[in-house]
Amino acid sequence: MSTLSRPGTVTTSRAVPRRLPGVDGVWVAIGADAVIFAILFGSFMQARLHNPAVFEASRHTLNSSLGGIDTLILLTSSWSVALGIQALKRDLVDRAPRYLLGGVLTGLMFMVSKSIEYFEKFTQGIAPATNDFYMWYFTLTGIHLLHVVFGTSLLSYLWIRSRRRAYSSLQRVVPECVASYWHLVDLLWVVIFPLLYLQKAA
Amino acid sequence: MAIHAEPAISTVRNVSPFRTDYTTWKVLAWTGPVFLFAVFVLWGIVAHNMPPFPPSATPEEVKAHFHDFRLPLLIALSICVTMTAFYMSWSVAVARVMERVEGPGGLLSKLEMMGGTITCAPVMVTLAIWLTAAHEVNNLTPGIMHMLYWMGWLLFDLAYFVTSLQIAAISIVFMRDTRAKKLVPEPVIWWGWVTFASFFAVSAIPFVTTGPLAFNGVISFWIAFFTWFFWIPSLSYFIIKAVDRIKAEDEAAGRVDA
Repeated sequence: MSTLSRPGTVTTSRAVPRRLPGVDGVWVAIGADAVIFAILFGSFMQARLHNPAVFEASRHTLNSSLGGIDTLILLTSSWSVALGIQALKRDLVDRAPRYLLGGVLTGLMFMVSKSIEYFEKFTQGIAPATNDFYMWYFTLTGIHLLHVVFGTSLLSYLWIRSRRRAYSSLQRVVPECVASYWHLVDLLWVVIFPLLYLQKAA
Repeated sequence: MAIHAEPAISTVRNVSPFRTDYTTWKVLAWTGPVFLFAVFVLWGIVAHNMPPFPPSATPEEVKAHFHDFRLPLLIALSICVTMTAFYMSWSVAVARVMERVEGPGGLLSKLEMMGGTITCAPVMVTLAIWLTAAHEVNNLTPGIMHMLYWMGWLLFDLAYFVTSLQIAAISIVFMRDTRAKKLVPEPVIWWGWVTFASFFAVSAIPFVTTGPLAFNGVISFWIAFFTWFFWIPSLSYFIIKAVDRIKAEDEAAGRVDA
């Protein structure tokens, strides 16, 4: 059985015992991004401690149903992308594009859902400057949304390339990098959703 | 005849009548950490910019801040203006290492050098603006002091994309390094991309005076600045080592004039 360490480089599994998906460097970026978000979550909780009443009252104005749907959308998306990588590993090259397309479409669904949520807030006269909670709400969800937009763009690129059979079990470093990043995007939302929408401030 | 794995470069380099000055190259590479030390200690600590005085402060509060810390501001900022030039000299050393990956006169090496050099301009002008504010604090109205303080931050932060281009050029070139052991390892290259991404957040500073995106906020200050502060010494370490490695490569290949 052979495995891949770098694009176009095939080595035996005995020579390379285990490796991280993608390239090592992408894990530095993923780790750093996770740490940055952890700092933001900590800062949010600290801000909430200073003003629990405002944070609690504002939290109730969020649409937790839509937040829940967003969670399901991103979990489905991660699952679909994971299936795409599995398909590549098994050299089921024809199946990979449809799974990656699933990732793209669910990414787009998340964007639409978030747009609806923001639109609701703006029509209610709620903006980042309304109070500290909404400043954090728009900042955290906005930065996460930028991650989704970036990730969906990368998945679209993968989808187009995979339709041209550019990837296989021996050529999957780039899809693995993107999939690893996409799982982080999913994981971040899994923390953001309860933190902003569900957790009581006091 | 070229015996190294870079035939096109080697052929050109071998006929160069000029000696490669590895010592100066290495000295220039060291100026990056010196720049960072100056900025961190002088601008950050002595001039009380870590954390920055709040953007929500009133004109009277800004004037009082500059009045209270006039002497440390004058000392720190005046030295820091001078030492900012070290970022330029460091960028020259980095560009020369990049040329050994992408070839002499490569576009991205030039972009890096230009990016690093132009980064100095807004930093120096900002420091001079705050230096003026500290120097003239007894002659200026609170409104003017407030304007100078904000003007400094807007210039300092919003010129970030010049540095972003420099960081992107460095990251792209060292990703393309085909050596078995890259001159700059992947973690440092990818940290460059993290820094590149973190800079975008500061675009929000004209619109907010409190919260994580304000110029003293957790994102726009602590994350954006400290990813850069960590990237400079990390990259410098491997650039300094790269000069030695390139010298060894040149000697092994008989390229004394590389």
